[in-house]
Amino acid sequence: MVRVELFGVPRLLAGAREIPVTGETLGAVSRALLDACPALAGRVIDPRTAWLADGYIFVVDGRFSRDPACPVSAGATVFLVSSVAGG
Amino acid sequence: MQGVHGRALHIDLASGSAEPHPIPEPVAVRLIGGTGLASYLLYRWAPQGVEPLAPDNPLIFAASPFIGTGITTASKVAVVTKSPQTGMIGDSLSSSYLAIALKRTGFDALVITGAAPAWSLLVVDDGRVELRPAADLLGRTPAETAEAIRARLGAGFRVAAIGVAGERGVRYAAISNDGRLAGRTGAGAVMGSKRLKAIAVRGSGLPTVADPAGLARAARDLAARSLGPGTAKYRELGTAANLAFFNRLGVLPTRNFQQGEFAGAEAISGETLFLEHRTDKHACAACTIGCEHHYRTRDGGPAREGRLEYESLFALGSLCGIDDPNAVLRAAALCDDLGIDAITTGSTVAWAMECAERGVDLGYPAAEVPRFGDASSLLRTIEAIGERRGIGDLLAEGSRRAAARVGQGSASWAMHVKGLELPGYDPRKLPTLALGLAVATRGACHNRSSAYEVDFSDRLAPEAEAQARARAAAAAEDQAAVLDSLTICKFLRHCFDDLYAEAAELYRLVTGVPTSGDELRLAGERINNLKKLFNIREGWTRADDWLPDRVLGGEAGITPERLTALIDAYYRVRGWDADGRIPADHLARLGLADLV
Repeated sequence: MVRVELFGVPRLLAGAREIPVTGETLGAVSRALLDACPALAGRVIDPRTAWLADGYIFVVDGRFSRDPACPVSAGATVFLVSSVAGG
Repeated sequence: MQGVHGRALHIDLASGSAEPHPIPEPVAVRLIGGTGLASYLLYRWAPQGVEPLAPDNPLIFAASPFIGTGITTASKVAVVTKSPQTGMIGDSLSSSYLAIALKRTGFDALVITGAAPAWSLLVVDDGRVELRPAADLLGRTPAETAEAIRARLGAGFRVAAIGVAGERGVRYAAISNDGRLAGRTGAGAVMGSKRLKAIAVRGSGLPTVADPAGLARAARDLAARSLGPGTAKYRELGTAANLAFFNRLGVLPTRNFQQGEFAGAEAISGETLFLEHRTDKHACAACTIGCEHHYRTRDGGPAREGRLEYESLFALGSLCGIDDPNAVLRAAALCDDLGIDAITTGSTVAWAMECAERGVDLGYPAAEVPRFGDASSLLRTIEAIGERRGIGDLLAEGSRRAAARVGQGSASWAMHVKGLELPGYDPRKLPTLALGLAVATRGACHNRSSAYEVDFSDRLAPEAEAQARARAAAAAEDQAAVLDSLTICKFLRHCFDDLYAEAAELYRLVTGVPTSGDELRLAGERINNLKKLFNIREGWTRADDWLPDRVLGGEAGITPERLTALIDAYYRVRGWDADGRIPADHLARLGLADLV
């Protein structure tokens, strides 16, 4: 099980702070997230590819990544957040 | 060269006289405009060693070639002076209609020196200058001041004004226009020292641009891109969206940087504010993004409504241990009413809160001393600062000076660089940002060095060497200098495929001066060297490029040795010597030697 914590627009769209999913890579996590929360389709996750739309990024164990092949260990916490930093 | 007027207007408040001064074309081309032009004018007009609150310290407002051209977000005025907080270059930008009105006066910049014999309103009407009595405006908020002046002079005038804090010499007083602030580094205190309550500007003459049709097409294209994913965060939730995420990353400054996580973060998060307090959003003049989200209190007390950005949210929230969004909203609105920088306000109050926590005697009755988590004490203290009343007189000096006065070891928790308080990013876990904060010419600033972008990305591995981070920090500074000199919003930066090349093409369409992306990038480097040159002239030494002890060492902290290595690498990347000074041949290579 992977716990995905949502921030910003993803949290507002999902109506939840976190969503538990399964997946051993970020690509699998993204697909599972889309299945679990269809409200993320379009603005956050591209439904055609099941991968992040432009403007979003995952953080796994403190590392920022937009690599679908990035491994995710069981029990990990993954953040989903805007890739536009600062302000 | 088109797109500019090629002249600045010098106004001597002591005599009321005004005189145009040509801006040589090499200056306009090599330093672009905005912050770059204003930095040059500061270097030329400020006597070496001038006291920041002395009449001779120039207060400079500068426009850019892009203002008034229809390029989205390009309606910002650069405000530059010698800072009463840092004693070094103080530069701020403020958005909105004042920038367009300034450029319509027929001048690219106003250079204001001297002090008026009595509190005054400076009126610049199409190049005609007049000083009018303004004693009746004293005590009013900047918004009230602007409203009164426009009612008096006509709605065609745009107004920059100070609040009570600027009148009373609070060192981090801001200059406000259209609800936006030239907030950091204390330009409002300089304006107040000149007995200048407000400036009203009107004009009718914009310069021509080189290729109007081409520019209109390019501007339309950029405006369309400004509504894409590169700005979605700002449009949808605003900068307040940072807070909850920063908290989970452990980089949310809390209780005066004693921690990087705040137990009350969710209560004041951007998401909570959006759901429970948001009213609407606004855009600056000529801006298609519209990032300014407004919120309303909902605590049953007198309603307050206003904008809230991440920086004011952290500084008046987690930094002071406040988890009541209504209190943070009231505190931010109070800062705007008084005309003070919310970051320095929150940080200086947090310093006093820690003094109280540690039992340090500040020399004022205990009832006046603010406490972590006590919202009413925060609001009371902000009012006292604005009016320089009681403990507010001490805190109006900022954390560095207040700590120097109080002693008792309190300097070790005064969280500033060069006298400017840290923004809302805990540098302990953000090494590139840490370097950027340490070396920034205006002090601890995230806007002149967005080096945090590297830390919040997959561009550099956490273990990346000093040289890579130094290159990233320098590049971030140069990009910021270009954006601040073209006066386009940093929130637009992700809307370009190749920022320098595309901005250079816009520059050519406006000015007619063929410019490459590389030349524009070099201009950014040149401008940063010019700012540094001013600081060196005013007494900067390598010791000024450092971080507060609190964020150095400890379990999570960046070590002093690592910071030293980062700074060494940064100086090498910059082409400076080991002491951070600029070799003469480097100035020549940059095209600065013959300008200063």
